[in-house]
Amino acid sequence: MLKNLAKRPWHLSGAMLAIGFAAVLAAPAAEAKVRVAYGDIASVENLHLLAAFELAKQKGVDIEMTYLKSEDIAAQAVVSGQADIGVGGPYALIQKVKVPVRIFLQLSTLRFYPAVNAEFYKTWKDLNGQEVAVHSRGSGTEAIMKLMEQKQGIKFSKISYIPGSEVRTGALLQGNVKATIVDSAGRRLLQEKAPGKFVILPMDGVNATDEALFARQDYLDKNQKDVDIIVESILTTWREVTKNPAVVAEWRAKYKLLPDLPADQVAEITPYFTELAEGKAFPLNGGGAAAAKDDFAFYTLSGQLTGEPASLKVEEFWALEPLNRVLGKVGTN
Amino acid sequence: MSAPAHANGSPRAIPGAGASSFWGKLLEHRTALWRAASIGLFFLVWEIAGRIPISFAFPTFLETARAFLTMLFDGSFVAAYAETLQPLVIGIAISAVLGVGLGVLMGLSRFAEWLVAPVFIVLQAAPMAALIPLITFVYGIGLVSKTLAVIMLALPVIALNGYKAVRHVNPSLVDMCRSFQGTWWQRILKIILPDASPIIFAGLRLGLAAGFIGVILAELLITPTGIGDLITYHRSVADYPEMYAAVVSIILVSTLTLSALEAFEVRVLRPEKKKG
Repeated sequence: MLKNLAKRPWHLSGAMLAIGFAAVLAAPAAEAKVRVAYGDIASVENLHLLAAFELAKQKGVDIEMTYLKSEDIAAQAVVSGQADIGVGGPYALIQKVKVPVRIFLQLSTLRFYPAVNAEFYKTWKDLNGQEVAVHSRGSGTEAIMKLMEQKQGIKFSKISYIPGSEVRTGALLQGNVKATIVDSAGRRLLQEKAPGKFVILPMDGVNATDEALFARQDYLDKNQKDVDIIVESILTTWREVTKNPAVVAEWRAKYKLLPDLPADQVAEITPYFTELAEGKAFPLNGGGAAAAKDDFAFYTLSGQLTGEPASLKVEEFWALEPLNRVLGKVGTN
Repeated sequence: MSAPAHANGSPRAIPGAGASSFWGKLLEHRTALWRAASIGLFFLVWEIAGRIPISFAFPTFLETARAFLTMLFDGSFVAAYAETLQPLVIGIAISAVLGVGLGVLMGLSRFAEWLVAPVFIVLQAAPMAALIPLITFVYGIGLVSKTLAVIMLALPVIALNGYKAVRHVNPSLVDMCRSFQGTWWQRILKIILPDASPIIFAGLRLGLAAGFIGVILAELLITPTGIGDLITYHRSVADYPEMYAAVVSIILVSTLTLSALEAFEVRVLRPEKKKG
């Protein structure tokens, strides 16, 4: 190939020209901005992340957020180099398709609440032989219910699929389903609209990543400074929110985040973060190896990962260096 | 009179007059060969594209074929199609009755045309994928919504084809009926409908093709069931060969169904096209 090129110099110059063009096009993108791909729309739920990025911007990292239709499109953007950092939990992609990306910071763990109609059920045991509704096949909500099935020694008669926590909350309120699993907004809605009518079943020992930051390994190696600033900004933000959840509403005003948010949602900000802070939902130490081990156990159950959890290696999924560097600086909490 | 090659609807695959004609046979085989080569070439390009690979989410042809066979024999496809075909069959049945009825009515009456045609013309031009989420606001996420999605895509095609078919009935036939003092009913039942039937049937075929699009859109956008569930689920756990196999299966099912209908149409309703 090279020989051929050398024989025909006009081809070589063409190639050089192309490389030159590519370099010109790529250079400013690599230098100026960190492009973050997020697989959902911006909402109250990620205000603290937006605030953390504002903090990183103050420390000199220019961040550009892109909102995409779904998590796997965000992953695709990161793999193809159209985005630098993605938000999500691409365990299945890393294992099955062997994409060259690594997770480097846990942002949140799955927070879901199994809710049942108190008229029919009171405890987990009552659900034996009954139907439950979850988000979708292979989803985290399904895995949680399967895990509880195992732990409680019960068996559901059927698992049906109703996408959208707000849809399942509505169905529960209307009486169309008797047992399902909802998010924290749904749980609050149930308690507001029909206090005492629904029972939230206790759930412990489920601790899996909901969202995490991931990037290509070569990006992490080449941009240590930027990555460290982002990790540090997020960890300090998470610690502040845990200490004082009301600060998120202040940040929203200060940084003019989500300026078009309707008033009823603005009122939701502080209760939402207070509940998460009380539930210790913000990983104060960024997850790391311990989180990876929890995820292996959980996601092998949900079908995202295959194989024995014990046989999976943390370093094949996580890049721990950025987190370790930052924790060395800010200390563990 | 009919060699097996006729069934695939190709006017070219017709042997010469004598079945023993050497050239005729060669011609017939050559067409089949070219077709096989075309499909083979496509698979080869797919395999190469998968091996480069053009994207990490793009499986090779062989991986997809393996996933396809696995899903065919473990019953996933059977279970999925049992679910997917429900809204499709109900939706197409309703669209066929309503669509042909309204189409013929529009063809016969200027008033009905003025009243109904604009709705269908707008519906046909509207981007349905954007409208499907609206259905869920009114009809929820069950079978009704999915059936409606099928109807929204299939009905305009069927109705507009029926309307055009009746409008383009040969006027000299209608005049003949009149000169033989045929009644209004005789004119419709004996002249207009038989003469319009090929185009009405073509409309049904196109409506079914649109219905396939509708049911898949509904299963991807409303709730994942049937084949839409296979696509969404395998995508969410990054089993891309299985995901592509599900996509290929729906293409295969719709192509085979439509070719069968076309063959039926050519054989029964348009014998002149067959002689081509």
